[in-house]
Amino acid sequence: MADVPIVFRPPLIEGNKSLADITRDVSRPMERRPTAMWWTAFGASLAALLLGLVAVTYQIATGIGTWGLNRTVGWGFDITNFVFWVGIGHAGTLISAVLFLFRQHWRTSVNRAAEAMTIFAVMCAAIFPLIHMGRPWLAFWVFPYPNYRGSLWVNFRSPLLWDVFAISTYFTISLVFWYVGLIPDLATLRDRATTKVRRLVCGLLSLGWNGSARTWVRYELVYLLLAGLATPLVISVHSIVSFDFATSILPGWHTTIFPPYFVAGAVFSGFGMVLTLMIIARKVMGLEEYITIRHIEAMCKIVIATGGIVGLTYATEFFIALYSGSKWEYFVFLNRAMGPFAWAYWIMVGCNVLAPQLLWFKRIRTSLAAVFAISILVNIGMWFERFVIIVTSLHRDYLPASWTHYVPTSMEIATFIGSFGLFFTCFLLFCRFVPVIAIAEVKGAVAHDRHQSETHHE
Amino acid sequence: MSQKEEPSKMSHSEPVRNPEGTETVVATFPVGPAGVGRRSFLKLAGFTLAGTAVSGCRRPVEKAIPFLVQPEATVPGRAIWYASTCGGCNAGCGVLVKNRDGRPIKLEGNPDHPLSQGGLCAIGQACILELYDSHRPADPSIGGQKVTWTELDGKLMERLEHIRQNGGAVRLLTGTITSPTSRSMIQQFLAGFADARHVTYDAVSCSAILDAHQRTHGQRVLPRFRFDRADVIVGLDADFLGTWISPVEYTAGYRALRRLESDPIRRSYHVQIEARMSLTGANADRRIVVAPDEYTRVAVSLAASLAEKVGVELPLRVTVEPAIQDVAERLWQAHGHSLIVCGVNDVDTQVWISFCNHLLGNYGRTLDVEQPSYQMAGDDRAVKALFDEILTGQVAALIVRGVNPAYDLAALGDWSKALSRVPCVVNVTETHNETSALAHYVCPEPHFLERWDDSEPAAGVAAVTQPVIQRLGRTRTLAECLSAWMGRPRSDREIVQAFWMDAIYARRQSGDEPQRFWDQTVHDGYANIHASATALSPFQTAALPAGPPAPSETVSANDLQLVLYPKVTLREGTHAHNPWLQELPDPISRIAWDNYASLAPAAAARMGVREGDVLKLTVSHTEGGEREIELPVHIQPGQHDRIVAVALGYGRMGTERFAEIGPQWLEARPSVGPTGRVGVHAAPLLRYRGDHLCYTNTITRAVKTGRRHALAAIQSYDSLTVPAGMAPHGQEKRHEIVREISLAALTDSAGRSPATRPAPPSLWPEHRYDGHRWGMVIDLDACTGCGGCVLACQIENNIPVVGKDEMARSREMHWLRIDRYFAEHEGRTDVTFQPMLCHHCENAPCETVCPVLATVHSTEGLNQQVYNRCVGTRYCANNCPYKMRRFNWFDYAHQDALENMILNPDVTVRSRGVMEKCSFCVQRIEAAKIESRGENRPIRDGEVQPACQQSCPARAIVFGDMNDPDSKISRLMRSPRYYRALEELNVRPAVGYLMVVNDENDPKGTHHG
Repeated sequence: MADVPIVFRPPLIEGNKSLADITRDVSRPMERRPTAMWWTAFGASLAALLLGLVAVTYQIATGIGTWGLNRTVGWGFDITNFVFWVGIGHAGTLISAVLFLFRQHWRTSVNRAAEAMTIFAVMCAAIFPLIHMGRPWLAFWVFPYPNYRGSLWVNFRSPLLWDVFAISTYFTISLVFWYVGLIPDLATLRDRATTKVRRLVCGLLSLGWNGSARTWVRYELVYLLLAGLATPLVISVHSIVSFDFATSILPGWHTTIFPPYFVAGAVFSGFGMVLTLMIIARKVMGLEEYITIRHIEAMCKIVIATGGIVGLTYATEFFIALYSGSKWEYFVFLNRAMGPFAWAYWIMVGCNVLAPQLLWFKRIRTSLAAVFAISILVNIGMWFERFVIIVTSLHRDYLPASWTHYVPTSMEIATFIGSFGLFFTCFLLFCRFVPVIAIAEVKGAVAHDRHQSETHHE
Repeated sequence: MSQKEEPSKMSHSEPVRNPEGTETVVATFPVGPAGVGRRSFLKLAGFTLAGTAVSGCRRPVEKAIPFLVQPEATVPGRAIWYASTCGGCNAGCGVLVKNRDGRPIKLEGNPDHPLSQGGLCAIGQACILELYDSHRPADPSIGGQKVTWTELDGKLMERLEHIRQNGGAVRLLTGTITSPTSRSMIQQFLAGFADARHVTYDAVSCSAILDAHQRTHGQRVLPRFRFDRADVIVGLDADFLGTWISPVEYTAGYRALRRLESDPIRRSYHVQIEARMSLTGANADRRIVVAPDEYTRVAVSLAASLAEKVGVELPLRVTVEPAIQDVAERLWQAHGHSLIVCGVNDVDTQVWISFCNHLLGNYGRTLDVEQPSYQMAGDDRAVKALFDEILTGQVAALIVRGVNPAYDLAALGDWSKALSRVPCVVNVTETHNETSALAHYVCPEPHFLERWDDSEPAAGVAAVTQPVIQRLGRTRTLAECLSAWMGRPRSDREIVQAFWMDAIYARRQSGDEPQRFWDQTVHDGYANIHASATALSPFQTAALPAGPPAPSETVSANDLQLVLYPKVTLREGTHAHNPWLQELPDPISRIAWDNYASLAPAAAARMGVREGDVLKLTVSHTEGGEREIELPVHIQPGQHDRIVAVALGYGRMGTERFAEIGPQWLEARPSVGPTGRVGVHAAPLLRYRGDHLCYTNTITRAVKTGRRHALAAIQSYDSLTVPAGMAPHGQEKRHEIVREISLAALTDSAGRSPATRPAPPSLWPEHRYDGHRWGMVIDLDACTGCGGCVLACQIENNIPVVGKDEMARSREMHWLRIDRYFAEHEGRTDVTFQPMLCHHCENAPCETVCPVLATVHSTEGLNQQVYNRCVGTRYCANNCPYKMRRFNWFDYAHQDALENMILNPDVTVRSRGVMEKCSFCVQRIEAAKIESRGENRPIRDGEVQPACQQSCPARAIVFGDMNDPDSKISRLMRSPRYYRALEELNVRPAVGYLMVVNDENDPKGTHHG
């Protein structure tokens, strides 16, 4: 061992917490009355959600015509938002499942919130394919269920159908994974509960957890299996979402690079959103010692890496467009960069490729304000990436006579705001009623820290 | 039934026991008031009230009785066709009226008709909607008060009697009347007055042609132009394929000599000389752009060049431009089978053109003056004289029929002021309009589908109009009105039939007995008869203007000229209240629901205006003073850069109703402009030059108002060439979409195989087509872009009107559209039209992506849309390379119950949220199958005609079975001109095109413009 330089890593959890401290710190926000800041945020989110509800109700009652779509641009804000929210969800699964399998202990501070984010983001995402239908009340027709309509079945050739399966699987696995991870913490809450209701609810939800070694063994096994199940979903869900575009015949959509590109983009945008949320949450919930600068830095590095992949993809797409000799491809990419939606394209490049480069600098990486700003830019950039892919490819396709422009209406903007309202309303409720940090896992990480430092001190 | 019970116990549906002892239900009222107590009275009163209220809730239904005795030859659900004559304009095209269950639902061209030959323009087809117009006057009125005919006749005849006794002047003002019966009735009626005159005018005048022939041939005649005999055609500002006199007839003739499938290839050469970009100019082989003030000079130059060739001395010297010399050379090479037509309403110009045609020996060949056309007979001089008479108070009674002078002739002055000088103004009209609003007596006329009428649009062609539905209002035809006012009221059928038995029968060509002749004519819709003799003198060279054309205007080179023109979709505006026509985009500008000031790009740049900027144009008026008009700018390539072209026919009364057409939602904008009407009335800017209406004027001022007005253009990019720098070098133009071939190359390649490539392999299993495989071929060289097919499709397939705002949002619902591309080429602007519809691809990209299988492939190659399965993801539309799928963004309400009568019962009305598209008129395919099965024979080639093909005046669309090697479509698919748009995508469309042919065979190989 003497030849190997020993790297002293700073502890994952600061403040030399005892196990009891951890339980107390994490449970505190749930056991006291909500702060004024929480109420303000909740009020704003709820207002946004209501605005979205009004917009969606009006749209469903009146028609898709209340959106700015037209004969050439059949998808706009709707599918952009869908892909955006599905992408956001990816970081949660990556953190909880993939990093778990790779034994990245730093994930313990953020995985609970990230998984919750996944679930809420997928919920937001699922709304859009539903309401984008001309007749959403018939949405159940996309499920292959036995029926009396002769041999009428769904179209297994349609990527939109694959989407239905991918998203519903993803949502189910994410929810189960999140819930299973919650069980030990729910038991903790049950044991700390001061009211009967809380004890009853937490008791029921913790499924009779007794903390015995046998229970822990079972729990660890199930968690590992679920992590193994969730891992391929990280790849498959966004690959399938990308098939919506890649299997079409539209230049700008019909591209083989889409599956890896979309997965990388999704992880990128997801970490952007995790950073945004965690920086707020650690401040508001007083969890600075649990979600430390080290966590932030680790996530920043993933942002640089995935941002790099995304940037490389942009370059590859352009290169292939020029190199392939296909004038349709050539046109669609130059039209993105120089056409009527060039502003959207350059926002995308600025936010997704240029802004994350600042994170190479440790000073910026460790500055919360800077990281927060960059994470917001990443979110904006990734939203525009989907907008650019969908709208710029559609608005000028094969026949110049059918070229059009696309401008969203107030209804689309209100629906978009509403989806944020839903997301934050759910997230704020989550912060109130569920431990935002996985207590049991963090305890394990603290133990790991101690173990490490003890070994090093020997 | 027993009446023994206590009346107070009586109530409806109360079981009572009758003497036989069986229980029965009594539903009678007690007899007599005796014994009706307070309670039962209240009960009964309440019941009666409720009963009255309930019965009041229902719309009164008249004669809604199912057939107890089936009328002969009537099968419910099966259409009956009646031959008739179109009343949309004076051209008199033959129509077949499709009747379903007692109501006419579609007009189609009569393929046997000698003039229209099966085509029907958009306006003609759209007319059928006006039959079901609930705003149509249904009752006669006096001073705006609804009256009965007896009252109106009583009062009016008293007035007329008074005038007769006092010798007052009676004037009848009508449009051109092609009906011999009506003309004879008018003569009889007017003969009863000492001072009576019949004055006619045409809203878009060609009075100068007739007046020119008065000078050259001694008769006021309109020649019948025989485009089907002309190998070289020169049009001088005559939009004969779009709006001029009889476009359907001319299009049919024009195309008759452009048959590229014949051997050897014969194709006429067409030069168009004009200032604005007209539909005819867009189709010309060569287009020479000149300013409108040069038209006369061009005519003189042509005459001079031709005179030189013939060796006739002209009294004047002109220098002839090389371009005009070339044209003269081409004409001369084809003398005797060439034709010059001129739409300039100026007698001198027309005389020069007549002289050219005379020099070329075209009279008697391509211009028929022996058997002339009667389609336009308006006299500008007479109508001007009439207006002066009215102004000076000399007219005692004015009867206006079928025309709208208060709108059309606003150039003459203020008609409301003028008509206040006439003590008795009678308006016989089908619609409420600007003139009927000023009339004392309004006599509603039935729609042409509700009445007996006749016409002789050209000498020797007599046609009958027959009613196909009971009159929807209490209306009377002109002939009926006149017969009533002469004291001998007769029905329209009696009048028309009697006249035919007498006058027309005498001119018959075949020797049938009178009744059989009449029956046959009603069946066929027309009869060929002997033309009445016209006493023409030979061409009078002395009629030529003595000197060179005086520079009639002091036009400086910087002045802007205003050019007023009738638009293809609306012409003079008679049908402006027809939403189908308002929504039909102009073929050239692709703008609907507005008129606008068209400026050439150079002019717009000079004035610093953009598309949609509102411009205030000022012209000086004949009467002194100035007139102003405010219009949004439209930038139009290919027009002269010193003109501003403005369409007539807009700003019509009756278009206020469109304020709320289309979906009404939060961000909806109205279809009407700031005036509350659709577009702006431009006719006040017309003026009289000499005795003729002049369609150009000098603009004294053109000022930007700073306001903007959004135009509903459904095509935002006008070229097949992508923006600069966005395509690899040399591939800027998308040739895959519209392909062209030069005439020379076509002649060389005759007999060669088509330019299609073998289909590359596909990932999906191949489809098998064992029976039919339907397909379509569209001849892009034949298509003029007139838009008739677009309307035919709209009517056939119950396509809703969506309004201006939806059009501006690129959400038009037309299943068939005509893409129009401009190409700037050596200073010329070339125009190509491409009808675009669902291509019914074999490897349809829409079919694979639909998650619920709402769009599927049929065994006959149709791409079928299943409306009730569609959930509306729009994925199919995104994946359609032709962008021909239409989404129901809203519930396009059919609120007008009467207008809903027009719906085709064979085609589903689609609901909100589903996708729709061209079905190849599957209902017609099925009808033909049923028909052939009943007769136990295979479907004949050409038996199935989709609506678009049926009405096409140019016969540019061919539909048929691609599995049948002998079918017409299979033959066309072997043509060297055959190609498929975007073939390399391997979607394998069932719609193919025949390439546009470029006749570059210019004498000097140069292009002018």
